[in-house]
Amino acid sequence: VSAVVDFVSSDLEDVAQKCSLSYKALVAVRRVLLAQFSAFPANGADLYEELKSSTAILSTGIPSLDKLLDSGLYTGEVMEIMGAPGSGKTQVCLSIAASACLGLKQHVLFLDSTGGFTASRLHQMLQAETEDEEEQASSLRSRVQVARVFNIYEMLGALQELRDSLSQQVMSCTGPLKVVLIDSVSAVIYPLLGGKQSEGLALMMQLARELKMLAREFSLAVVVTNQVTRDSGAGPLKPALGRSWSFVPSTRLLLESKEVAWEKGGTQRVASLAKSPRQPTGIQVELDIGNGDVQDRSPATTT
Amino acid sequence: KLLARLEGRTSLKDLEPYLFAEEGFPVHGDVIEFHGPEGAGKTEMLYHLVARCILPKSGGGLEVGVMFIDTDYHFDMLRLVTILEHRLAQSTEEMIKQCLGRLFLVNCSSSTQLLLTLYSLENMFCTHPSLCLLVLDSISAFYWIDRSNGGESLNLQEMNLKKCAEILEKLLREYHLTLFATTQTIMQKSTNSAEHSFSPKPLHETDADYRPYLCKSWQQMVTHRIFFSKQSNSGNSKAFSVISCDIKKKHVVKRSFTIAECGVQF
Repeated sequence: VSAVVDFVSSDLEDVAQKCSLSYKALVAVRRVLLAQFSAFPANGADLYEELKSSTAILSTGIPSLDKLLDSGLYTGEVMEIMGAPGSGKTQVCLSIAASACLGLKQHVLFLDSTGGFTASRLHQMLQAETEDEEEQASSLRSRVQVARVFNIYEMLGALQELRDSLSQQVMSCTGPLKVVLIDSVSAVIYPLLGGKQSEGLALMMQLARELKMLAREFSLAVVVTNQVTRDSGAGPLKPALGRSWSFVPSTRLLLESKEVAWEKGGTQRVASLAKSPRQPTGIQVELDIGNGDVQDRSPATTT
Repeated sequence: KLLARLEGRTSLKDLEPYLFAEEGFPVHGDVIEFHGPEGAGKTEMLYHLVARCILPKSGGGLEVGVMFIDTDYHFDMLRLVTILEHRLAQSTEEMIKQCLGRLFLVNCSSSTQLLLTLYSLENMFCTHPSLCLLVLDSISAFYWIDRSNGGESLNLQEMNLKKCAEILEKLLREYHLTLFATTQTIMQKSTNSAEHSFSPKPLHETDADYRPYLCKSWQQMVTHRIFFSKQSNSGNSKAFSVISCDIKKKHVVKRSFTIAECGVQF
C-alpha cells in the first residue's frame, strides 16, 4: 500500500515526464486508486435515514437497568460493564443474552474468556422468564452461540469469523445476530499490557477498532466486561486497561455490591452510569441478584 | 473557477466566541486542537459546533457545510439529531434532513486510509464551496497502531501522520477551511520530580496533564489548543471546563460549560 500512497502523493506532471505514460492516463489511474482505497464520504441526511431503520434498542432483561440506559442497549455501540470480581457482570450478561434470545428472538454470540459461562446458568435464566420448557431448550440451541477464547488472538479470530459470516449474510445459522457479549475483555488484554512495548497496546486498539466497526457496520449491540482499579488507595473507581481503552466504549456501567444492614444475608447490587452519550452520568439503580437470577427489585420482597 | 472557490467560503468568525481567547476567531486556516481525557466533553463540543454550522440562519446557525472525519467510529448521529431538534424552533423531519444535508461523514480505519481519503476529499471541497469546516475526531486514534507498525524507527512511525498534516495544511490553505481536531490524553503525566524542574513554561494547572505525543508537523500546525477537563469539585457531574490557548499570541482564557439535553451550554 505504501506504493499507492507514494503514487497518489506524487506530482503527476513530474511522473508523466519521467515515464512514457500520458498525464491523462496517470490521472485516471490515480482516480481509480483513490476510489478503491480511500473512504467515501456519506451525506448526513442519508446516514440518518439509514440509522433510523437499522438501529434497534434491546432490553437487558432488567427493567431498572433499561431505564438507566434510556430504554436499553442501542445497536451500533459498544457498552462496557465494569466491576470488581463477583459484582455481577456475568449475571448481567446472561440476563441480556436470555432477554435477547427469548423475548426478542434475536441471536446472540457470547465470547467467554473467563470460563464463567455455563449453559446451566443461562438455562436457569430462561426458566425464570418462561414456563415453556420446549421454548427454553430450542432458544438455547438455536440462538445462543458460545465460543471460548483464552487469548487475544483467539478473540480476534472469533471476531473475524463473525465478520466473515455476517458479510456473506449466511443467515441460516447465525440468523439475525444482534448482540455480541464479551466476558471479559480485560482477561485477554491484561497479558498484553505492561512493560514498554507498544505492540500490546496496538493489539488492544486493534481489538477495540474491530469491535466498534462490527457494531457500526452490522448494527450490533456489543457488550464487554472489564475490571476496575483505583488511582490511589481511596480514589474513585475507574475502568481497568488504561487511558487509551477508556475512550473506546460509548457507554459505561459500574456494578458494585453494597452491604445492606437491614437485609439478612443481604448484599445489594447497585449499577451506576459512568459514561453515556445521551444520559447524564451518576445515576444509580438497584439490581437484585439472588438464586443465580437477576431481577428488578420489587417493594413486595423487602422485609 | 479559482475565484468562485475563494468567494464562496463564509467566515466562521462567530462560530463560538466562548471557545476563543479573542474575538474574531476562528479564521480560515486555523487549526484548533481539542485535547482532554475521556468524558471531558470534546465530542459534545464538536456536536455543538457542527450544529451551529449546519443549522439554517433562521435557526441561529451559519448555514455552512461540514466535513466530519470520524476515525474511531464514535460519531452518534442520533445525539446530533436530538441537539438539532432542541435548537430549531419547529423541528420537522424536513428541516432536520435539510440541516443534515450540509454534513458529510467519513469513517477511516487506518492512518493510511486517512491519508488517501484526504487526497480524495480534495475533489469534494472543490465541488462544494459551502464546506467551510473540517472536523477530525480524532487525529490520535491510530497512535499505538502506527507506533507498533513503524518498528524501531520513530520516523516510520510518524510518517503517515506527518503526511496527513502536510496535506491538511494544503487543503486548509487552498480551500479556506478551518480544522477542528481532537486528541486524546493517553499518556500518563510523569511524576518524576526531575522533569518538573525542566518543564519549559508553567502554564495553568490543568496543563500539567498535557504531554505532546504526536509528530512535530502536527504540533506546529496547531494555532489554538483547547484543554477540556471535568470539574470535579462541585457535586454537579455535568460541569466541564475549557482552557483555551492561542499559541501564537500566548493568550489563555478559562471558561466552563455544562452539557444538557440540548447540548453544550456556556
